[in-house]
Amino acid sequence: MRWTLAVTAILALPGSTSALPFRVPHSAFPVLQGTASQTDTALESRVREVAATLRCPVCQNLSIQDSPSQLAQDMRKVVRERLAAGETPDQVRRYFVSRYGEWVLLKPKASGVNLSVWLLPLVMLLLGGTVIWVAVQRWVARGTSGALPAPGAAGAMRDVGELRSRRSALQASLKELEAEFEAGRLTAADRDYLRQRDQAELTAINEALKQHKKAAPEPPAPTPPSAPAPASGRHVPAAVGWGAGVALFGVVAALSLKGSIVKREPGGSITGTQAGEAPRPTSGGGGGGEGGGGGATFGEIGPLDSLRIAQLEARVRRDSTDEPALIELGHLYLTEGRLRESAQVNMKAVQLAPDAEGTAEAFAHMGMILWSTGEMDGALRSLDKALYLHPDLPEALLYRGIIEFAGRRDMKEAQAMFERYLAVAPPSANTARVKAMLAATRANQTP
Amino acid sequence: MHWRRWLVPLSALPVLALLAWGLTRDAHTIPSPLPGKAAPDFALQTLSGDSLHLHDLTGQPVLVNFWASWCLACRGEHQVLVDAAQRYGPKGLRVVGVVYEDTRDNAQQWITERGGTWPNVLDIGSHTAIQYGLFGVPETFFIARDGRIVYKQIGPLDPAVIDQWVPKLLASSAAIGPNVPEQPFAQGKSEGYVRTSPDFPATRGTTPPR
Repeated sequence: MRWTLAVTAILALPGSTSALPFRVPHSAFPVLQGTASQTDTALESRVREVAATLRCPVCQNLSIQDSPSQLAQDMRKVVRERLAAGETPDQVRRYFVSRYGEWVLLKPKASGVNLSVWLLPLVMLLLGGTVIWVAVQRWVARGTSGALPAPGAAGAMRDVGELRSRRSALQASLKELEAEFEAGRLTAADRDYLRQRDQAELTAINEALKQHKKAAPEPPAPTPPSAPAPASGRHVPAAVGWGAGVALFGVVAALSLKGSIVKREPGGSITGTQAGEAPRPTSGGGGGGEGGGGGATFGEIGPLDSLRIAQLEARVRRDSTDEPALIELGHLYLTEGRLRESAQVNMKAVQLAPDAEGTAEAFAHMGMILWSTGEMDGALRSLDKALYLHPDLPEALLYRGIIEFAGRRDMKEAQAMFERYLAVAPPSANTARVKAMLAATRANQTP
Repeated sequence: MHWRRWLVPLSALPVLALLAWGLTRDAHTIPSPLPGKAAPDFALQTLSGDSLHLHDLTGQPVLVNFWASWCLACRGEHQVLVDAAQRYGPKGLRVVGVVYEDTRDNAQQWITERGGTWPNVLDIGSHTAIQYGLFGVPETFFIARDGRIVYKQIGPLDPAVIDQWVPKLLASSAAIGPNVPEQPFAQGKSEGYVRTSPDFPATRGTTPPR
């Protein structure tokens, strides 16, 4: 719904809300052409599709579809011309790559070095899985071999390292045995049996190690006693932990990669803003305009808004009863501070369908206009009407809250409005400010 | 057994190598595919209303300089171009200015105030800018006699860059770089044309890209 594209309001301090404080982010509206014929619509959707994959050269990580800059508009025009001339989307993309390099593609090709981005998570996953598998195999094998006293087992173990690690495992096991016995978890008979079994194996291992030394007087391996000794059969080997960690990393990387290259709707935002989320505040245009991450833009009109206004004006000229166009136009005029024009189109929309739910937004706009011209009573009536038609219209709740808060100083009412707003409006740049104001209303109410 | 102790540190090596490679690169360096290739041709109207066809300049070294009157960096650069045109013009260097995202009046006023005798063309709709893979202004393309782009300067020119490249352009009619184009000046179906666009917004000069 359109109201989910809630206005980005600057709700600064209570006293300073007289300036018109909102603007519709340009990303809310895909660039539409005024013409409505079938072929044009099809072409435009293809243009959007291609434009969304091309990076705007004068912006920070925006597609030329999302960017309001002049160059991006010109590039969209080139896309349109080339598509209209019969080129395929791939050919158009290739053309831009031939001019700007692969940089111009927002989604890099899965080849060369780029491929690592695609493959690394998979490799990590396989690696981690293998580590876990091997570790579990060893763990299980060790558990079963330890269950049976096998005097010949030491002889079967050829590897000096293996013998050593088995020896330290047995030593640890013997210590543990004593502890278990002292703690009363083992009977003396069991303790004796196990100790005898382990000691027998230990002796065999020591024997085997001695023979190894004689047979091959290799320099003693610099295995420090503090080396991570494989734990006794009762403990999960550290390798499993490592493996699990690596596998987890792989999974997380794979999931986040998948999330970051999720297919967008044509014209959707490249930052992956979902339909329910608030549109981000826009910079006026290119690279320099970025910054102040969450800060809403104040009264700045992107070229795209002017473009959109021109399109809507054309629609209204053709059909003066085009209510959605009238309401959107009312919003954009309001954003630009063109109050008189905004009032005109909003009034037209109100006259067309005074009792339709969709008209609630026009009433909300009228409320804001009236308030900013000092007509507080009229503003409240208009907002009441808006909320009557659409009880949860975030804009109306927001404006009404502001007026209660900053105008009438009715903190209780303001609090109710802001609470309702927070409950129904999707999170946006306004959320934090509304929360701040909500806190202020509560603070003002405490005697 | 010992090799296993090195397994974890060793497995971190490729990751570290990747990070070392990625983090030591200048993320702002964007390799242009254009140097070595034929300069995209254009035929555009000059500020004085004549038509200028880049193809007509084949055989002469050319500096194609993209600029705009709203561009601060272009101010300092302009004098470098004036000097270059004075020094190397008599030896055969041609300079062509391409006015980017600007109005004829603003551009004309700029030239009147700051001098410069070389032709400046209006790139309405930025077709030529896009052909040249422009990121912003100023950018300058050094084009050899054979119509091939030899060097692309992103950002303002300075005398050292001029002195480094222009003598090479003047000295040689043969290839300077590794690639020789099959034909001078790429000719494509929409490779630049004179056009007066009725939908050209009047406000363009006042809303430069940032």
